Amino acid sequence: MTVLIVVETAVLLVLSVLVVGLLRSYATVLQRLHRLDGGVDPAPPAPLSSAGAAPPFRTADGVVGPPEGQEWPVGQDIAGVALSGEVVTARTVGVQHDTVLVFLSSGCAGCAGFWEQLAAGGLPPVGTSRVLVVTKGPDEESVAQLSQLSPPGLDLVMSSAAWADHRVPGSPYVIVIDGVTGRIKGEGSGTSLSQVSALIRQAYGDGAWSPGRRGMVKPRSDADREVEVDRALLASGIDPGHPSLYLDIVDTSLPATADSPSAAGR
Amino acid sequence: MTTEPTLTGHGFSVQLPAAWEGRVYRRSTPVAAFSPQNRASIAAGEPSPAGRGWLGEHINAVLHLANFPLPADRGDYGSGAVEAMTARNTFVALVEFGQECLGTALYSSIGLPRVEPRRFDPNGLQRRIPGQSGCQFFFTEASRPMCLYVVLGSHRDVDLLSAQVNRVLDRIKVDAP
Repeated sequence: MTVLIVVETAVLLVLSVLVVGLLRSYATVLQRLHRLDGGVDPAPPAPLSSAGAAPPFRTADGVVGPPEGQEWPVGQDIAGVALSGEVVTARTVGVQHDTVLVFLSSGCAGCAGFWEQLAAGGLPPVGTSRVLVVTKGPDEESVAQLSQLSPPGLDLVMSSAAWADHRVPGSPYVIVIDGVTGRIKGEGSGTSLSQVSALIRQAYGDGAWSPGRRGMVKPRSDADREVEVDRALLASGIDPGHPSLYLDIVDTSLPATADSPSAAGR
Repeated sequence: MTTEPTLTGHGFSVQLPAAWEGRVYRRSTPVAAFSPQNRASIAAGEPSPAGRGWLGEHINAVLHLANFPLPADRGDYGSGAVEAMTARNTFVALVEFGQECLGTALYSSIGLPRVEPRRFDPNGLQRRIPGQSGCQFFFTEASRPMCLYVVLGSHRDVDLLSAQVNRVLDRIKVDAP
């Protein structure tokens, strides 16, 4: 009897190992298929800072968050001039990407850490978001000093209007705008980019953002299907915002007539 | 509710449709000629006080429009930007040429053209990128010789995307020099 129990236990253990092995290989195959299909990169996100933990974040003196229970205000597009004299209109509202606005100035002591990190190439890609450094306009800023502080390739726009539009209390200051809704979804201050990354993480939800991490990517088959649907709708004259997309549910028990919405949409 | 800002500069004016943004610039006049050394420095990302160009080069205006975020560092024909395009994106460059080109055969077509789907070709790109297609037109508008260069994110959607481009081109106004 004892021998039988021992043998059964051994067989059970062997079978368990086999089942776990099969499940693991199945998961690996699924992961690779998903990656081939253009799915989300399964690579783990890069740590938020060199220490791997979120740096402490606090708002600077005088920085006030929105009142309890109220929505964050609406963001504004950025119009201004680059250091090269390029005239810039950058969209932040009604777009698919989010925008991180970093308001800096050439003379503020608190901005030094930001400029140093920017010069050292410390501005990380922010997922699918765009990062714009915004200073006040050329009439209120030292263009020569900014040219020295700004590293090549930095997307810097000089716009006093952007400061006024977003009611920036002082520099440094960071605002995160949700592109789809156009709402500001986080704002505050810090002493360095690393510190402000915590603010951005809060805006995106804990763990939802970290430097270098890819945004959510749809599987290619889903994207292709959406393109096909878009094409069919557009071929039928249904553009984004078309009234037929927002009609109440039509009573399908009634036959469609020539002037009914369901017939007109064809 | 999105507004339609107007981008104005260097004799161009565009009322930007929803989700479209733009930049207009004129490169600074080169103060030193390209040399293998400073070309290598630029390629390595080092600042180039000499500017990018050739001594005696005529500097003219360039307008870029896109329905995706335009990076700060771009070539006149969109290098640095078109690599970031998705299938639904479109890039438009309007590059002005010098007055010495005025009246020449290449620029004899008058007026800002509109694009047609049949003109787009995956081989019409400055540098071929899978899925994309492009086309180029030379013309004169308001006595300014120009090149219109358009890149579509997806050649499969050429009908849809070229219609979008034409809606944007309708909004461009060019001032005389």
